[in-house]
Amino acid sequence: MFSSVHRTLARIRAVFQSSDLDRDLILELESHIQNLAEEHIRKGASLEEAQRLARIELGGIEQLREAHREVRGLPLLDTVLQDIRFAFRIFRKSPGFTAVAILTLALGIAANTTVLSWMSATLLNPIPGVAHTSDLVTVMRGDRTDHPTPPFSYPDLRDLSERTQTFSGLLGYHDDYMSLTGVAKPERIYGALTTANYFDVLGVHPILGRAFLPEEGTLRAGAAVIVIGYAVWQNHFAGDPQIVGKTIQINRHPYTVVGVAPRDFTGCAPGLRTELWIPVSMDRDVWGFNRPDYRGIFWLNMLGKLRPGVTKNQAQAELNLLMRGIAERFPEDHRDSPNEISLDPLWRSPFGINGYLYKILPMLLGLAGVLLLLACANVASLLLVRSVGRRREIAIRLGMGASRKQIIRQFLIESLLLGLLGGTAAIAITVWTSRSIVAFFPPSSLPLTHDEHIDQRVLFVTIAVSILAAIISGVLPALRSSSLPVQSVLKEEASSVSLTLHKSRLLKGLVVAQISLSLVLLVCAGLFTRSLQKAQQSDPGFEASHLLLASYELSPAGYTRATGAAFDRLVLDRLSALPGVESVTLADFSPLSFSIHSDYLQIEGYVPQPYESMEISRAIVGPNYFRTLRTSVISGREFTAADTAESQLVAVVNQAFVDRYWPGANALGKQVTDGGDRFTVVGVARNAKYRLLTSPTEPVIYLPNYQAYSPTHDTTIHLRTTGDPLTMASSVEETIHQLNPELPLFNVNPLSVTMQLGTLFGRVAATFAGSFGFLAMLLAAVGIYGIVAYSTRQRTREIGIRVALGAEKEGIYRLVLGQGFRLVLAGLVVGTALAMVFTRLLKAQLFGISEIDAITFATVGLLLAIVALLACHIPARRATRVDPMVALRYE
Amino acid sequence: MANKTEILRGTLDLMVLQALEAMGPLHGYGIAQRIQQISGESLKVNQGTVYLCLVRLLQKRWIKAEWGTSENNRKARFYSISKAGQKQLNEESENWQRVSETIGRLLRLNENR
Repeated sequence: MFSSVHRTLARIRAVFQSSDLDRDLILELESHIQNLAEEHIRKGASLEEAQRLARIELGGIEQLREAHREVRGLPLLDTVLQDIRFAFRIFRKSPGFTAVAILTLALGIAANTTVLSWMSATLLNPIPGVAHTSDLVTVMRGDRTDHPTPPFSYPDLRDLSERTQTFSGLLGYHDDYMSLTGVAKPERIYGALTTANYFDVLGVHPILGRAFLPEEGTLRAGAAVIVIGYAVWQNHFAGDPQIVGKTIQINRHPYTVVGVAPRDFTGCAPGLRTELWIPVSMDRDVWGFNRPDYRGIFWLNMLGKLRPGVTKNQAQAELNLLMRGIAERFPEDHRDSPNEISLDPLWRSPFGINGYLYKILPMLLGLAGVLLLLACANVASLLLVRSVGRRREIAIRLGMGASRKQIIRQFLIESLLLGLLGGTAAIAITVWTSRSIVAFFPPSSLPLTHDEHIDQRVLFVTIAVSILAAIISGVLPALRSSSLPVQSVLKEEASSVSLTLHKSRLLKGLVVAQISLSLVLLVCAGLFTRSLQKAQQSDPGFEASHLLLASYELSPAGYTRATGAAFDRLVLDRLSALPGVESVTLADFSPLSFSIHSDYLQIEGYVPQPYESMEISRAIVGPNYFRTLRTSVISGREFTAADTAESQLVAVVNQAFVDRYWPGANALGKQVTDGGDRFTVVGVARNAKYRLLTSPTEPVIYLPNYQAYSPTHDTTIHLRTTGDPLTMASSVEETIHQLNPELPLFNVNPLSVTMQLGTLFGRVAATFAGSFGFLAMLLAAVGIYGIVAYSTRQRTREIGIRVALGAEKEGIYRLVLGQGFRLVLAGLVVGTALAMVFTRLLKAQLFGISEIDAITFATVGLLLAIVALLACHIPARRATRVDPMVALRYE
Repeated sequence: MANKTEILRGTLDLMVLQALEAMGPLHGYGIAQRIQQISGESLKVNQGTVYLCLVRLLQKRWIKAEWGTSENNRKARFYSISKAGQKQLNEESENWQRVSETIGRLLRLNENR
């Protein structure tokens, strides 16, 4: 069968060597004729007669050449290549048109590939370093909120893991910062306590050493072993090839390095960079708890690998059954929270960044799709207008016997080339824009990471989208141009085929489409922007300006509960004495940075519904917290330095807490139990937002730091200054280092900067919807200008006649402008209707405004109308300057 | 029944291969002459079709082509059979023989009835 392969290859080669092969054939045929003729002469024929006979015997040379070409090459490829060469000639003839068309398509495509590149890097590649994530699911227990807390206790996880038939493995992990100590400069690194099967379930193989052994996960073993990330290995241990077996220190406890994770792998919480892994049994050494011992402490996130052939629903049903059994056997431990299990694929894992992105990115992709459609309409109208200029060329080709199919093919190949060139440009743009999402990450306490590369998936989709865009924008002009009335085009001139705005329904439709699509995008942009504004202007319940934050962590530095509390006291004393400091306090979190903790509470006088979650936000704060944050205390008092371990245990709750649990009652004096300690409420504070500006206010309980003291969490200094908070940064650092030169101070930033994290997704949405909207308006303006200007030029003669017959300039102006205006109006009406349907999808993402916000619709409509009229104004003005003499001679 | 040109094309391929096998390298004119000689008037085709056949055979790598000078000092392209071509020729000849024998037997059977 090689001969057929050879033949195909030879045919393809022949297409590219066409002229050489043709010349060879002619040489051969000529010599053949001569030979034949000589033969006839020998037989006695005259020279002429001999040549005539020779030609008859050989057969028609032209036919032969044609047949030869068909046999040796690929006729279709041949003509397509011809069409491509022709298209490039056409492009070179009108570089301006070509550039505009390519740029327009490039912008439309790039908007899509940019969003796609983010989707690909986050939703579609949720765990870098793990190739196959389709059979991995996150396991959630209880209510689904936008700030889920780890849902499983270690004994529950172990029981589920031992009994499940639908999962080949269930892993658990708890991630938080750890400190690499025992080195010159201790460093905080995000790490995880994991079950022993962690790496096996994910299918990740350490590049050096090994993963955890099953026995290292069992409780009492207390295996002090660690797997370190590639970056830690490189940066802190200089890539030491002998690292396995060596001992390193985490939070001042020694661990034996047993493995180094592969370079790409950064843990299994999407968007968060984990770089150290230690078995869960080491909880006491790392974070000072014994959480694995308790069935009632929920602190582990769970991830499972489905057995082949098992569906998500089957697995969910099974886990629910198992969980119900566990809850029945240990009712005490499971009463405080719902036990309903839900499974999620990793692209919408509630843990990590995907929980937010999976709602926003598809929406942005939808907007980018609208932009692409608009770009297509734009290019279609350009192609259409230009095809009129080429009607003679087309008519001649049709007249010479070209089929309609050939004309359509030529046109489609031209637009296909435009699409592919646009796609190439789009990839170049995307290389740059795919990184842009990182610019939205503020300095934050979260180890946010973003994998910024354009992968094959994105490239493939870009090509597909380019082709699609080319077909969408090319098909109408192609169909239209191929059905020219050949006779009239060749005989008369413009009048019979001219494509003017008042005649061509297609051209009108394209104008209306451009206006309406750009209105849709502008409305979305407007809604997101207004929503973000509303969020940023909304009262968070504290005053962010003039506040400097700085954090330290005492436990890795060797502090105990007693020495830590003493240190905190010193810090507050010293800092409040600094000049320029109005007041200062401490807290175990900072507002709007996803850092507030929560706890399970028992509330006096409140009887929870069965399985109602009593996990409530719990802030541990220092004296003067409310004064420093300027959150007013509505009744009672705030914490003072006198609230110590020796005095009565006290708490402050917010208004939402009172409304939720003690509606209508006096909260002061009531008691709340947290972890066995009873706190008496001494104050009620105004509501403040600590998670997202856009989420509803939720109950919060505040406990004084000297009473609920834990040295294992970060402590964040909140410093209210009289001037610019950043100018205080160095003196704060100095003060801390005077107290302890070894203690690292991190995340030194104004609160106004760090709280940007709380609007991260709103800003991403507003910025991108905004740029899409701006581009849309620009494209629509250019498109309308092009069409109106063109169709006015087509009517030069008519306008000339009107002027010659005495029409006023004003009348001409109104004629042209009115024509454009009617279409703009139609576009606005259609666009408004479309937008009202489309914005319904955005509803959940909007804050403080309705999805049919009248102000947004009106402003955007007016803006678009003005821009569109401006685009019509220029050609209308030009029309008034038509000189009738010139115009009449023109054709 | 397969269409006539298919058979003709196959036959012509075989005849060209046979000509090159028997005569050694030939140019297009030579091949055409040889075929006409052998087939007499029974296969009178446009001589030009030989060139279409030659392209096909070249593409299948059953023959090779080289530019050279003809006996009357003209630049000409000489074709010769390749190893693959010889193999093909053998297979095809056997095939033809089998077919013609079978058909012959069939026709004789019909005569005898």
